[in-house]
Parts: sequence; C-alpha cells; structure tokens
Amino acid sequence: MATFWRPGMMPIQLLLTIGVTFLIFVIGHTFIKKTFGRGLPMLAQGALTWLAAFTIFKFVISPPIPSSLLYIYMGLITLVIGLFISANEVSWTESKKPIVDTLIGATPLHRGVRAVAFIALPLGFGWGTYTSIAPPKNFPEPPELRTVHPAPPQAIKVQDKQFTLQTSKNPFRVDVKGEYLDVGKEKEFFASNPFDPNAEGYVKYVKEGGEVFFRNCHFCHGDNLDGRGMFAFAFRPIPANLADPGTIAQLQETFVFWRISKGGMNAPREINPWDSAMPPWEEHLKIDDIWKVALFEYWHTEFFPRTWD
Amino acid sequence: MLTIIKHRKLWATCMLGLFLALSVMLPLVSTMALAEEAQPQAAAAAAVEKGKDVYYKTEGPVSGAGWTEMNENSYPSYSLPYPLSENRVIIWVLAQQHLYFGSFVLAVPIFCMVIELVGLLTRDKVMAKKYDHLAYSFVKISLTAYSVTAILGGLLLFSFITFYPAFFSYIAGLFRPVMHIYALLFLAESGTLYIYYYGWDKMNHGLLKWVHATMGVLLNVFGSVLMMLANSWAAFMMSPAGVDEKGRFLGNMWHLLHTALWNPINVHRIIGNMVFGGGVVGAYAAYKFLSAKTDEDRAYYDWMGYISMFLAVGSLIPLPFAGYWLMREVYGYRQQMGITLMGGLLAWLFIIQAVLIGALFFATDYYLFAGMDRMKGAERYAKSIKYVLFLTAAAFLVWLTPHTLIITPQELKAMGGQQHPVVGNFGVMSAKNGAVNTMLMTTIIAFIIYQRANKQITVKWATWGNAAIVAMFTVALVNNWWVAIYGYYIPANVRVGLSVPQVMGTLTCLFVGTGINIAMMRGAKDMGPVLWGKISVRSQYALFVLGVSFTWLMGLMGYIRSSVRLFWHVMEIGRDNSPWAFTHTIGFAANVMTFNVVLFWTLTLFVFWLGEIGTKVAKAAHAPAHQPAIAGGSK
Ligand code: HEC
Repeated sequence: MATFWRPGMMPIQLLLTIGVTFLIFVIGHTFIKKTFGRGLPMLAQGALTWLAAFTIFKFVISPPIPSSLLYIYMGLITLVIGLFISANEVSWTESKKPIVDTLIGATPLHRGVRAVAFIALPLGFGWGTYTSIAPPKNFPEPPELRTVHPAPPQAIKVQDKQFTLQTSKNPFRVDVKGEYLDVGKEKEFFASNPFDPNAEGYVKYVKEGGEVFFRNCHFCHGDNLDGRGMFAFAFRPIPANLADPGTIAQLQETFVFWRISKGGMNAPREINPWDSAMPPWEEHLKIDDIWKVALFEYWHTEFFPRTWD
Repeated sequence: MLTIIKHRKLWATCMLGLFLALSVMLPLVSTMALAEEAQPQAAAAAAVEKGKDVYYKTEGPVSGAGWTEMNENSYPSYSLPYPLSENRVIIWVLAQQHLYFGSFVLAVPIFCMVIELVGLLTRDKVMAKKYDHLAYSFVKISLTAYSVTAILGGLLLFSFITFYPAFFSYIAGLFRPVMHIYALLFLAESGTLYIYYYGWDKMNHGLLKWVHATMGVLLNVFGSVLMMLANSWAAFMMSPAGVDEKGRFLGNMWHLLHTALWNPINVHRIIGNMVFGGGVVGAYAAYKFLSAKTDEDRAYYDWMGYISMFLAVGSLIPLPFAGYWLMREVYGYRQQMGITLMGGLLAWLFIIQAVLIGALFFATDYYLFAGMDRMKGAERYAKSIKYVLFLTAAAFLVWLTPHTLIITPQELKAMGGQQHPVVGNFGVMSAKNGAVNTMLMTTIIAFIIYQRANKQITVKWATWGNAAIVAMFTVALVNNWWVAIYGYYIPANVRVGLSVPQVMGTLTCLFVGTGINIAMMRGAKDMGPVLWGKISVRSQYALFVLGVSFTWLMGLMGYIRSSVRLFWHVMEIGRDNSPWAFTHTIGFAANVMTFNVVLFWTLTLFVFWLGEIGTKVAKAAHAPAHQPAIAGGSK
C-alpha cells in the first residue's frame, strides 16, 4: 500500500479514494437494480458500506492511523449509516424487520437465530471485556495525550536578552537594503541560489542558517528537514518533521525561535518535556544563529511563518 | 367609544415607552456628564497621577486603588467536600445556569419579534393567526424562564460577593455606573416584557398591534444592551483595557467597555443565543409532540418544531463565521491565548466542539429528510439524500480529525512522527475551513430539497433555474475545496483573506440559491399538503439532539473562553492566587458541563410543566366560549 501514497498528495488521495469507492457503490447498486429488478436490502448496503470504510481506514491508509482515530472515524460512519437507514419510513421499516422478527421469533429459523444470538452476544461482550482489561503479555505503554505545540510564554530570556514573542521579529528577514521583509515577500527568493557568492540580505542569511543546520540539526531533523535524520529513530518521539504542514507552517517565527532556544527540556508541561530530545540550543548557539537557522528552515520547506494580522 | 378606548391605550403605551426610554437615558446622560466633569478637574490639579492604558496606550488620570494582590484569604470558602470546596466550581454552575436561562430569554423575544412580524405581514388570515399564536406561545414559555433567570442572577451575584469579595469589589469599583445602568435596564426589560405578554390579546388590532410589535423590538434592544454590558465584564477579564498596568481606572468608561474582545464576543453571543433559543423551543415542541393526545396537537407541535428548527439552524449558519472572527481577535490580542485554545492545553475541548457541531449538522439533515416523509412527491428526491449525507460525512471526517492525536508509543513509531502524513493534513485550519463550508453547503442543499419536496415546479424557466442552482453549488464547492488545498501553500495572513471567497461562496449559495429556489416555487403545483403531525417519532429525537447539543456546546465553549485566562483573574493585571488556580482536567470539566446540561434541562422541564398548568387552568376556564381558531395546521 505504501507505494500508492505520494508525498504532498496524500490527503487528496484519501478523499478521492473515499469518493471513488462511494461512486462505485452507487453505480454498482444501480446496475444490480437494473439487471435483477431489485437492489440489495438496506441493511446489507449499510453493512457493505461499513466494511468498505473500515478497509480503507484500517488497511489502505499507510502508515496506519492511531486506533483512537480509527474509532472516531468508524463511529462516525456507523452513525451516518444509521441515519441513512432510518431517515425514511420505508427503509426504516424494511431494515428493522429482520431484527424485530428475530427478537420476537417470527419463524422457527428466527427463533434459532435468536437463541444463538442471545447466547453468543453476552459471551462476546464478556470476551471483549476480558481482553480489554486483562493484563497483556507484554505491557504496551499507554496512549498519550501530548500537546506538540504548547502555548508559548509571553516573553523569554535568551542569553540575557529579553524577547517579547508577540512582537519580536527575525532580524535577518531583510532584503538587500536591510529593510524588513514582510511574511510572504520572501517568496521571490525561494528559487534563488544561496551559494551565489554575491548573495545579499535574505539569501545570504539563509545560507548561513543552512550551515548552522547542517552542523547541528540534520542528524536529527534530516537533510530534507522531514524528521528522518540518521539518529532520528533512536528518539521517541522522533524529531519534528519540519516539512509537514502541521509543524513550523503553523507557527510564528518567534515560536520557532523559542522552541529552538529552549529545546524540549525547558518547554511547558503539556509537551511532556521529559519526552523530547530537542536540545536547548541557547546553550550552544549564538542568538543570531538561532534566528538564521529558523530563516533557513522556512526557506527550505517553502512554508511561511504564521502571522496574525 | 371603542376608538377612544383604543386611543387611550395607545397613549398609555406611548407614555410608557417614553418613560422607559427616559429611565434608560438618565443614567447614561449623568455618566456622560460625570465623565466630562472629570476632565477639567484633572487639568486643574496637575499633580494628578497619570497612567497608561494597557491596551489603547493612551494616558489618563489615575483613579481608584487598582488591583490588590490576592492571597488565600481573599477566597472565603465553605468547608464542603471536593469539588464544592472550590468556590469556582459553585460559581461555574451558577453562572452557567444563569447564562443558559439568560440566553434563552434573550433569544425568544428575537423569535417572537420575527414571527409576530411575519404574522403581521402575512396576507393569509389563517396563517397570520397561526403565526401570532406561535409567537405568543413562545413568550409564554420564556416568561417563567425570565424569573428563573433573575433568581439565578441574584444567586450568582451573592455568590460573587461572598466567594470572591476582593475580586468583586475591584470589578464593581471599575464598572460601577455600568452596573447601575444594567440594573435599570433589567427593570425596563421586565416592564416591557410584562406589557408585551399581558397586552397580547388587548393589543391585537390595527395600530395597537403595530405598537405591540414595536414593543417587541424595544424588548430586544433592552435585552441586547443588557447582554452587551454583562459581556463587557467577561471581556475585560480576558483582554483588559481602560486601566493601567496596575489595574487602575483611567477615566475613560468607553475604553473599559470597548476592549479587544468585547464586540466579537457580543456578536458571537447574540447569534449563539438565537441558535440556543431555537434549540430549546424546538425541544419543547418535540416534547409536546411526543406527549400529544390528539392529531390536532401533533400537527401544531410538529409545525412549531419545524419553525424552531428553521430559526435555530438559520442562525447556526453565520455562527462559525462569528467564531472565526472571535478567534482571530483572540490570536491578534495574544498569540499565547490563541494557541492555548486551539493547539495547546484546551485543544481537545475543541475536538469535542467539532464533534458536537457535526452532530448539529447531522441532526438537521436528518430532521429534514425525515420531514420529507410527510410530503407527497418527496420520493422524487429520495435518491439525492445519499449524496448529501456522503458529502456531509466526508467533510465531517476532515472536520473532526485532531491536530494532536492520541497515540500509543508503538503507533507513534509506526507512524514515524507526531504528524500522520495522510490525515495529519486534516488537522490544520485550511482543511477545517473547507470542511465546515462544505457542511454548511450540504445543509443548504438539504433545505432546498426540502422546500421543493411536495411541489411540482411550473415556471417556464425551470430548467434554467435548476441549472443555475446546480452550477452555483458546483462552483462554490469546487472553489471551496480548491481554496482549502491552496491554503497550504500560502502564508497564514493571506489565507485568512482567502477564506473570504469561501464564505462568499457559501453565503451566495444560501441567499441566491434559496432565492432562486423560492422564485421557482411561485405558482408551483402542490402535489399534496404537508401532512403536519405525520412525521416519524425519530425525527423528534433529532430535535432533542439539536437542543442538547446546543446546550452542551454552550457550556463547553463558555468554559474554554473562561479558562483560557489560566492563572489570571484579569489577564496580565490580576493574578488568581486562589488555592485552586490550576486548570481542571478535561474529564472533570466535561463532567461539570454535563451536570450543567442535565440541571438546565431538568429546570427547563419544570418551566415547561409550569407553563402547562397555566394553560390547563386557562383552558378549563375558557372551555365553552373559547374555541381555538387555529385549526391544527393542515389546510
Ligand atoms: C537530538 C536530536 C535533535 C537535534 C540535534 C535537533 N533537534 Fe529539533 N527536535 C528534536 C525533537 C525530538 C523534536 C520534537 C520535539 C517534540 O515533539 O516535542 C524537535 C523539534 C524541533 C522544533 C519544533 C517543531 C515544532 O513543530 O514544534 C524545531 C523548530 C526544531 N526542532 C529545530 C531544530 C533546529 C534548528 C536544530 C538545530 C539547531 C535542531 N532542531 C536540532 C530533536 C532534535
């Protein structure tokens, strides 16, 4: 399955997969109706839909999604199917008939099914309860509710300098003339060559930031900034994937500055500081280098830092 | 003779209106005069200390002692078992109940006003009467709720004074004149409400009816201003202004009121109240429907439930936009606050919010589809239901995918990072915008389908009209999705601007789409009347789901809004030094919210029941003479 997924297209691929599956269902069902004169019973349609959704979420998505999310998704699908079946009187009556028939034991066959069900169901629940609470052979660590992006403090002190995070600016986000480049304007430099010996301003600082990165960060964050450096899988959680739209693309430049300066161990409690291998770089780098490497990270990933105006 | 009496009533009403207006104006004028007086005095005594406004950055003469640091003695509490040993939990419950009832009694007059006006403007006599009666039964429900609100308000006030004396005296010191105006407005509102209600039958004809409708408007003006004043206190605590960094008042009342978050909260609350009010009345109608003994009652309450649902969902559609505005202002005010809300400590509560909002959309769609069963001709549209449900479900899937996932360490390893490469992308704003606009649009589609369910369209341009509607929705949806994807590739500030075309698309579909649809209904052949009362019992539970989800949502978002201050009473000015200055766990908070929801609905049932006794007595008294003219609903 892993070969199906193309980086950058994945969410769209998933939605398209779901959409196409749905259309195949609709068309297939129309076809069945045309050829055999009648369609599948509502309940069967519902069951098929449920299975299809489960297959997609459980087996097609790669890497697998966390089970908490799988529960949420399948809960939703179950609900929607229930709504669809019960929304109009005809399908509701039709779908509940086999269930009611079984409950009241309308025919000997139904009575048989009822007997089996009434024995199997409690046993099933019992088994489910047992497996969910019995101590497993090798104890898995419990799921964690970790906040990856905690709220930053109002102001921080880095090497005796005070920074107000709401208002501070990257001093190296400047054009050739030294004027501040508003977020978004750096786009024109995304294609520039930082190794150009005549590069000035933004592009020059990107190169210097890149040097900082490849001396200090790429072991963990990877040379593509995707969090897959050579040491990456020795850590848990693995280093942040800076190329994912869910990390630095969501953050203000000052937030990134804060995270690089203070690292995991000095982060707020929500992040589980003991869990994070990110070093506090204020102890090893100069303030200017921290700003430059932040600049480089945005340049390389072609993301824009968040702004609030 | 009759006309004179009528005129006398008219004059009396006018005088009363004048009196009420004056009673509001007086304190306003006097405070303005006070403010003006303060200026020259300040100029004369040059020695007066100046302070700098924490928000507006203007200078002003310092007055009052400002914030005094609290200690554990500032929070006298009863030695009750936990959690009641925390004063804040008691305040939480009382404030929430007060707010529930408050928003209910603020919202219902808005509906009354609208419905009464619709009744006035309807040319169809039977329908006009029906609407008028509906508006009347709305106020009737809200009347008892009104006194419950007042009682709860009193309880809340006393609890503030006894549990948070130091804090309360600080706030009261700042907002002194506002609090007086508030109390007076409350008086004015009560007076108007009583006349509005008790005068309903008397003021039922000609000009008097219009006076009556005007009083409905007045009632809403009072109610809204009242709420805005109360909002100013909460907004001040979140984003203070008008004071210096020591919390001392700087002489500008307007700055104190007009803080960064005041207006976004005002707008969000007014709309939210309407959604909530519609939800509660809808639940009332469902309750009456389920317990109705006659077909006539069932028909009436089915119709009432439909109208309430319509009002609630109609108000729900602009609510996300008001929410975005509020969140944007929050982020603009303090990045930290925004991240605590959306990405940090409180982010999981936003996932619960997403689930509840999804429940609202599904309940609405479900109700509409179930409602099509009572219309002849609806079979023609049965096929389209699955597409609407599919789109809603797919959008909802994106909508509720959290940014931060709950993962076991093994899963984390398998995923190779905190961000899932496929679904992780659904966790960010751009995807959410696309999703919520999609859900709004599918709900609008459901409405359009519902509108035409029992109609045979006869206008000549039917094909063109249909084509236009389909084209509009297709363009809007595709545009919406494209913008959602494109949003990943651009800076956040540009993206915020980009959400404008998304919203415009949705709103165009709402107004132009339904507009064209209504135009197409002109002269359409009825394939059969709407068989009011012939709706499935299940649909009525959808109405309950709507009502309960709204209540839960309100409790949830109120908690979030309030707890985002973390350890501040007044953001960055007054620290919370109580022994319980920590954020509750999500589980505990959710339990209190649920308790609040249950308590509210229990009290509401009581209010409904009280209304019932009243009607029974009235019915018994009037029985022979008063044959209701409102015949069920089926024509
Ligand atoms: C020892 C490995 C390691 C090194 C070396 C390292 N990082 Fe990290 N970094 C991490 C880990 C692990 C995380 C994720 C922490 C977490 O999830 O809380 C992280 C997170 C980050 C984040 C936060 C991203 C977010 O979404 O919050 C930034 C920014 C970052 N690193 C930048 C850097 C820079 C710049 C350097 C070099 C100066 C660097 N890192 C070096 C391990 C490392």
